[in-house]
This record gives sequence, C-alpha cells and structure tokens, in this order.
Amino acid sequence: MNADKTAVAVKDRIDRILRSPAARALASLAAVVLLGVIFNADGAFFKWGTHRDMLRQVSVFGILGCGMTVVIIAAGIDLSVGSLLGVSSVLFSMLTIHSGVSPWLAIPATLAVGAAFGAASGALSARWSIQPFIATLAMMVFARGVAKLISGGQKISTAVQQADGSYRYVDVPAVFEFINSSVLGGNITVVTLLFLLCVIVTWIVLDRLRPGRWIYAIGGNEEAARLSGVPVRSVKVFAYALSGLFCALAGICQAAQEQQGDPEAGMTYELTAIAIVVIGGTSLRGGTGGIWLTLLGTVIIGYLEKVLSINAVGEASRLMLTGAIIVLAVLFQKRGGS
Amino acid sequence: MSVLKSLMISVSIMLAAVLAGCSGAGENRDEGGEAAGAKWVIGMSQCNLGEPWRVQMNADIRRAAGEHPELKVVFKDAQNDNLRQRAHVEEYVSSGVDLLIISPKEAAPLTPPVHEAFRAGIPVIVLDRRVLGEDYTCFIGADNRKIGKAAGVWIAERLGGRGKVVELKGLMTSTPGQDRHTGFREGIADTGIEIIFEADMQWLEPEARGEMESALARFDRIDLVYAHNDPGAHGAWLAAKAAGREREMVFVGIDGLPQEGQAYVRQGILAASFEYPTGGREAIETALKILAGEQTPKEITLRSKVYTRENIDSDGQWLD
Amino acid sequence: MSGQVRLSQDEKTMGGKPLLRMSGIGKSFGSVRVLHGVDFELNAGEVHILAGENGAGKSTLIKVLAGVYRNWRGRVELDGRRVSFTEPQQARRAGIAVIYQEISLVGALPVVDNLFLGRERTKCAGLLDREAQREAARALLAGLELDIDIERPAASYPIPVQQMVEIAKALLLDARVIVMDEPTSTLTRPEAEKLFEMIGRLKGRGCGIIYISHKMDEIYRLADRITVLRDGALVGTRAAAELAGKEFVRWMVGREITSQFPPRRPESGPEILRVGNLTLRDKSNSRHKLVDNCSFKLRRGEILGVAGLQGSGNSELLHALFGSFGGRVSGEVRLEGKPFGVRSPAHAIASGMALLTNDRQATGCVTCMGVRANITLAALRKFSPGLWLDGAAERRAAEAGAEQLSLRAASMEMPVENLSGGNQQKVILAKWLETMPRVFLLDEPTRGVDVGVKQEIYSLMNRWTAGGMSIVLITSEMPELLAMSDRIIVMSSGRITARFGRGEATQEKILAAAMSRGGEAA
Repeated sequence: MNADKTAVAVKDRIDRILRSPAARALASLAAVVLLGVIFNADGAFFKWGTHRDMLRQVSVFGILGCGMTVVIIAAGIDLSVGSLLGVSSVLFSMLTIHSGVSPWLAIPATLAVGAAFGAASGALSARWSIQPFIATLAMMVFARGVAKLISGGQKISTAVQQADGSYRYVDVPAVFEFINSSVLGGNITVVTLLFLLCVIVTWIVLDRLRPGRWIYAIGGNEEAARLSGVPVRSVKVFAYALSGLFCALAGICQAAQEQQGDPEAGMTYELTAIAIVVIGGTSLRGGTGGIWLTLLGTVIIGYLEKVLSINAVGEASRLMLTGAIIVLAVLFQKRGGS
Repeated sequence: MSVLKSLMISVSIMLAAVLAGCSGAGENRDEGGEAAGAKWVIGMSQCNLGEPWRVQMNADIRRAAGEHPELKVVFKDAQNDNLRQRAHVEEYVSSGVDLLIISPKEAAPLTPPVHEAFRAGIPVIVLDRRVLGEDYTCFIGADNRKIGKAAGVWIAERLGGRGKVVELKGLMTSTPGQDRHTGFREGIADTGIEIIFEADMQWLEPEARGEMESALARFDRIDLVYAHNDPGAHGAWLAAKAAGREREMVFVGIDGLPQEGQAYVRQGILAASFEYPTGGREAIETALKILAGEQTPKEITLRSKVYTRENIDSDGQWLD
Repeated sequence: MSGQVRLSQDEKTMGGKPLLRMSGIGKSFGSVRVLHGVDFELNAGEVHILAGENGAGKSTLIKVLAGVYRNWRGRVELDGRRVSFTEPQQARRAGIAVIYQEISLVGALPVVDNLFLGRERTKCAGLLDREAQREAARALLAGLELDIDIERPAASYPIPVQQMVEIAKALLLDARVIVMDEPTSTLTRPEAEKLFEMIGRLKGRGCGIIYISHKMDEIYRLADRITVLRDGALVGTRAAAELAGKEFVRWMVGREITSQFPPRRPESGPEILRVGNLTLRDKSNSRHKLVDNCSFKLRRGEILGVAGLQGSGNSELLHALFGSFGGRVSGEVRLEGKPFGVRSPAHAIASGMALLTNDRQATGCVTCMGVRANITLAALRKFSPGLWLDGAAERRAAEAGAEQLSLRAASMEMPVENLSGGNQQKVILAKWLETMPRVFLLDEPTRGVDVGVKQEIYSLMNRWTAGGMSIVLITSEMPELLAMSDRIIVMSSGRITARFGRGEATQEKILAAAMSRGGEAA
C-alpha cells in the first residue's frame, strides 16, 4: 500500500515535470538542435566555434530578454528595449571613442542613463497609469530620437569628423576589443559571459530578493498585491529600470561588437526579445515564468538562426521558417500550460 | 476614466511632439544664417536620413551650397515614408522654392507631386532613385550594376582569376542589392572565381557578422569576401578577426563613405571600397546652371571611384 | 417546455424516466482520482440539491455534465438517450445551462447583446436582427420582473442583477437542466427571495434544477431531493423531507457537528480603534458619498459586526479604513490612542491592521503563486532582512500557518488556484496572521466555504479575540452575524443607521435598519 502510494507520487512528480514549461522548452530546443544535426552543413554544426558564434550572436538579444522577462512577469511589456540599446550604444561610443573617457566611468554612466530611461517608462505606466504598451511605445520613439539627436544621425565610429569636414582616425578603444574578444582559449565570447551574468543577476532578483517576489505578485494579481502592502508603483518602476539597465549593457555589447555606435542599432530587437521570452514559456499574462526559461528561449532562437544560416537558406524561406517555428514552439508551450 | 482619457490625450500630444522633434532634428537645419544674401531658395527632399549614405548626401549638398552665398537650401527628411515625402514636395511648391531637389523613396508614389512641381514651373533635380515619366529637369545618379561589375573585375584581377569568394548581399528585394549582385556576377563571369557562400545580410552589420561566422564555420579556406556595402564588409572582417582568420582573406565593400569605407581601407580592414557617389555636389552644380538659365543634360550618370590601400592617400582612383 | 406534463412525486419514484441520469461517473487528473463512480439523477420539475464540502467533487461532476472535460468514465443519459459532450457548446445546445458562481457576462456589452451572445438572431444575409432581439429580451426580462435598461452595459448593474441576467440567458436557451452553483453567495436576502420565486416558476415549467449550496436554510427551503458527495464519492441521495438536518451535516462532514456556532465569551478590553466621521467620496462623482460620516469604536478582543445590504457601503468602510482608497478619505482615526492617518494598505499593515476581502480570486490572493509565497506576501519584509529572501524561514512559517489552520495542500509550492475554496481562504487567513494584526477586518470570511471550514473559522475567530485581537466582521449570513458579533452596527446608503449591543439585535431589527434611509435612529 505504502509502496503503491510512493509509486503514484513519483509518477505524479514525473508527470508534473514533463508538463512544466521548462520541459517543453527543452524539448523545443532538442528539436532545433536535432535539425542542426541533420542539416549540419558539411559538419560545420559539429564544430564548437559554430556554437560559440551562435551564443555570441544571440547574447545581445538574451540580455534584452532578461529585462523583458522581469517586465513581462510583472504583467507589463517593454517595447523600448531596441531604442534604448541604440541610445546606449551611441552614448557609450561617444564617451569612449570620441571623448576618450575611461571605461570605468563610461560603463557606469551608460548603465545609469539606460536605467533612467527605463525608470521613466516605468513611472509613466505606474504613476500615471498609462498602459505599458503605450508608455514604452512612446519611449521607443522618443529614445530613438535621442539617439539620432546626440549622434547627429551619423554612426559614431573611429573616423571622427573634424570641424572642417575632414576625418581624423582614432584607434578602437581597448574596452571595445575586450568585450568583443573570446576568452577561455577562445572558446567563449565575453558578450556571452556578460549575458550569463545578466541571467544570474535576473535570477537573484526574481528568485532570491524581495522585489522579485513582489514582481511575481503584481504580475499575478496587482490588486491583491497592493492590498497585501506591496509598494506596487515602486516595484514597477524598479522592473522597468532594471530592463533599461540591461538595455544599456546590451548597447555597450552591440557597440563593442560593431566597433561603433549606430543610432539605428536595435531596430525591431524588441520583437525578438519578446519572442524569446514567450518561446521560453513565460506567459504574457504575467505572474508566472522565469529567467531559466528565457535562457532556453534565447538558445532556441539562436540555434534556429544558426542552422538556417550555416545552410545558407534564402532570406524569404528563412523568414517563413522562423515565423512557423516560433508559432510551433509557442503552441507547444500553450498545450503544456493548459 | 476621465483621468485616463486626459492622460491618453497628453500621451498623444507628447508622441506627436516627439515625432515632430525627430523630424525637426533632421530638417531646416540650414535656415537662417546666409538667408539674408540668398537669391535662390532650393528645397531638398530626402527620403530617409536613417542611412549614413543619405546623411552624407545631405552633407555634400550642404557643403557645396555653402560655397555659394546666393543659395539657400531647406532640407526635409521624409523618414522613409512616401506620403510624408509627397507632402514635403507639396509644401515646397506652395512656399515657392526656386528649385527642387528630390531623392525619392519610391518612383510611382512620388511621380505625381514631382510632376506637379515641374508643371508649376519649378525645375526639379531627381537624385539617386528615379521617378516615372519625363516631367523633371535632370536625373543624377550612379549605376549600381556598373559599380558591381567593376568590383567583380577588380576582384578577379586581384585573385588572379581564381579563388573562393563569399558574397554578403544587401537586401535582395531592393534594386541596389539586385544590381550590385548582377553586376558582380557579370564582372567575374568566365573566370575561375567560385562563390562558395552567399547570404542576405539586409545591409546590416550585425547580420553580416553572423552570416560570416557561418561561412567561416563551413569553409576552411576563404580567399575573399565581397559585401554589398562597407558595414557588411566590416562585419565580416570582425567575424574573421574573432576567429583569428582575418589575414587569410581580403575584404571588399561598396559605398566608400569617408567615415566608413574610406576609413576601413585606411585602417587596413578592407582591401578596396567602391564609391557609390551621393551626387550631392553635382546636384548643386547642376542647380546653379539651371538657375542661370543654362542647358543641362536630362540625365547625368555619376562616375565613381575605387579606394584601395595604394590610392587612399591620393583620394582614390576614378573608374571608367 | 411549458407543455411538458409535471410528474407527480409518485411517478418520479416509481421509475418514470428521469430527465437526466448520470451513472458511474469517474474522473481523474493525472494520477489523482477526484470522482469515484458517482450516480446522480434529476427529474423534470425537481430541485435537486447537490451538497458536499469544498473539494468533494461537486464542481467536477457539473463540469462533466457541461462538456468541459473530454476524458471521464461513466454514462450520461438525457431523456433516456445516451449523450457524450466534449464541448460546452454541445451541452448548451442539448439544453443544459450552467450558471457558475463567477459572472460570465461580457461587462462592456449591453445586456441585450449578452443575452444573445453566441446565438444572435439574424435576418437574411447574416445581418443582426436587433429589433427581434430587443423584443425577445424585453419580454423575457419582464417575465422575470427584472426592470432594467437592456441597452446599458452589463457591468453597469450590480452583481445580483447580473446574476439574474445570467439566469435569463439560460432561459433563453430553453434549457431543461439548469445548474446553479451557489447562486445566492453574492445576493442579499430580498434578492435571494426573488431568485427563489423564479426557481419555483422554472419548476413549474418542467425544468430540472441542480442547485449547489452551503446554506442550510435555503437548501431545506428549495430541495425536493438532496444528494451528498464526500471526497469524490457518493454518500447518498434522499428526499429532503426524509433527511434530517443533523444527519445531512453528518453526511457532508463524515462526523457529527453539534452546534453550528461555537459559544462566544465576549471580553471587553480597552478601546483599540476609534473612527470618527469617516467619509469616502465617489471618485467619479464627488458629491456622492460611499461612506458617509461613520463613527464607531472597537475594543480589544471584541468582534464588531457591520451589517448592510449590497451597496450599503459596509465593504467600502473597511476598505476606506484600510487605505485601499489611499488618502481619499476624510475623518479622524485613532489606533491605540494615537492618531492614525489613512494612507495605503502598506501603512495599515505596518500599523497592525489586516483586511480579508470578500473576493478571494480577484483581490484576496495571487492565484498563480504558490501557497508559501502567498502566505508570506503581506509580511515579506520579515522574511527578507536586507532584501534577501530567507526561503527556509518562509517554508517554516508557511508550514506552521498551514498546520494551525489545518490547511490541506499537496505541497507548499502548489499554486493556490489548484486548491479548493476553503483551503484558499485558509491561505489568505494564514497570510494575514503572519502580519500579527491587532485589528482584523473580515469581509465575508465564510463566503463559499463549506460547513466544516466555516466552523473552523468561527473557532479561530474566538481564539484570536481571546488572544487580544479585535475583529470587524461583515457577513451577509444573518445567523453568523448574530452569533459571532459582540456588537452590531447597521449601514444603509453609506451611513450607520443602527447600533446594537450583544443580545439586542434580531434579524428583523437589523433588516429594518439596513433597509431604512436617512440618518441614525437616536
């Protein structure tokens, strides 16, 4: 009898694990990797370098996804992440390339500006109850304008225009080279490590710190949270500010990887960031999900793009395939949820 | 509810202000200043200032016009929107500019307003992209296909007639992308050049880097990378450098802007960059002739330069 | 349906074909069996009470009938023919209407559109026949003596009216089997009376009604037969006249319950809360006062009952005091002799107040979060010195709270949405106990929980007050109010209209004061 009960409990537990979003996301990931194993492009898929490059390429999206996860769990949405990436990449390039500011100063300054932009969207939605979609849409447009304004519409690169219109050429700052490099015997890129750092920071915030619990509570039931004494407004501002901070880090990584600050950088990245969060299994309704799911979602999107890329699939089919696979992955997640 | 409504209204106003602010940053920059002595006002309608090349075009126009105090140029940026550009042209007509320069976003939607301006007696110079019909004064533009072909010929020569090449294409749904591709294939026809990998990087540097990483993973030997624009070539170089393989191959790009292609050639990143001229200076020269009543040809095809390590200090070399 | 002949009591028991027969119904979720071969019958023109504690399997049985689930065992016959619904739509078409506890109207749509939602009347070319809809709706509502403007959005009416609209919607379907899941839980007494009248009319038309309720008085008032489920199994079915109240309760809980209310020994301590001229104005219409100049005192260890009909402002009074409306409140509040400025729930909690709201799902708990996270939510600072959450301390506290309230949950991490109503209520109580409240505001603490849990809550209230806590209690169940309150104040239109000491109040006096308009009687 007792053994019977234990068996049932174990079966129950396995059942629950199999139904969890994480298991679903892992299955999607396995499917995409399998696709890569089958279409391995003359063995290119089996080289570690391919995986390292995939991780590098997707890291910026992943960093944006970390902030997006926090905001979405709080039942919000942040459409401004791409534009904030653009502003930060321009700002960071101007500080380091043009003004020669030390990275020890430029990085915190850029992060602070990103967080301030994020906090502003948060305040718009929390303090003045503008829907997050609208508030961050406004911020998306506004921040893109700021990026263009401060850069004068030009890319901020090592070719510095003089007052007379001619160009002076400067070296790429060491901090760009460092962020753009690979470490551990060239096996992993610095941006990927930064992405993993963001994942860990997000995990700590969401799972180990008080504001994280409050974020889940607000996303799950804002009114119940408020009546339980949760400082709803401050927590929302915090969530968006954290997203802004991650955007700034993503902007720094983007600038380092392009070796320039592009005011157009990050266009449409918000959509990819939302996609990776949702594919991971975090619900747009808020209150559920987590950062590990976003990590899985990021890698799923990364492998998907990589497999299509090493096989040199044409752009048209690539777009169609990507759309179809995103829908499949999300459908798969939804069935698990119900 | 009413609070929410008023908030929504204020957001709309803010949005509108923001949008106006964005375009305000791009347009009307050169008003004032020389206006006092200006004899002629030229309206310049730019389709999109999101691209560095078009920013350069405006800069070229501004610099060339700066040398002639009798000219005053008003700039408007349509932000990649046909209807906004159409409105800009109509605004120029009603404000009575002496001459209109337009670099249209697309031919068909902008033909009617250009047509009307021309009929109203305003000379129209069309830059880079065409409009339909004959109702304009002069078209100035470069030939992407010719430039692509020149790049192909140069590459075949550089590789001694044989080698493995990666082609990173611009947006293949755009005419420049198609022409730079077709021209290139004509240039390398009947040689031993082999295209081992081609991908659409949509003119974007991060995309180009990702695609190049895939090419590097697949092929142990690549001799040359031909990218349809300089940022694309730069992205490919960054990928090769990260893989420690940047010395194995050479990189060729198109556009040759001072701060991009020319800078990359100077820094030894690109072996060559083929200029895609903006025609800004030529537009002002032509405008002066038209305003002085001189005859101009209906069509001016711009010559372009190639910048290489050898000639970069002597400001490039004209292509035929 | 009106043409159908009413069956006499004899015919029903003599094996005349029942309207609905469910036999051997079994249902499992994963490896957990929640229904074990349940049999259930319903005759035409009968009110059949389905009773049982929370989690007994009543809702599951109803959902099987309504086509919500696809996989279940057993046999369902309607009019002697076997049916098997896999979609709610199929069940609806077959004439089975379920009126759930939660209102399922689309709030923003006019009443008339709600009535016809999903089965709109159309003219040729698929155009809506609005005129026909309006006419049919008016006729229907007039028949129900429901005098409302059908063009106004459903949400603009109070909950009881919305519930009547739901019932009207079922009638429009020509439903023969109508299931009502605790329909009176949001209704006041006179409103419930209206509903009972209507149930009588439905019986007369030959409808069979399955009625789920926890309220003894209405069960015995309505029932023809009673079926009791316990732990997913059938305990028995018997004609209501033959099932004595005591036995009925024993059927439900599996044990004898001696008295519904535990004895209460009021202790009169020092004054802890003094509210003076508390006023709350309507946000959209500042001349309208939701709470109008209310003053009262609360002593240590005391339970103060606040009576009032729907819309009397008694709920708003608690919320206003707690800070749910922020500083939009005027008046003077003193807590333990010190001035207490109403600011926010967070401030109230920090000052030793707690508020159990009258809607578990909407405002009581975060249903998608686990038991542990819900229990520690209101006192989270205690569990996270220096921001860092102490998971072990949280778990200890949650387990201790669960044990104290005999909360049954498979694990402390289980989402609250998977718990039964009574256990959800216990989670919320445990949450507030973690904040160590000295003044506990309880708004309908026993709504939608079964008899057993009700008793537990009453005992807890006695224990807490004996320990020095003070309680303000709102309940729409009159016996509960009378038995548990040491003093009672009655509200109407935002004003206090009567005050009673222990033993002074009767149902009649309270009702009279609740329905009176104007100021407090001297």
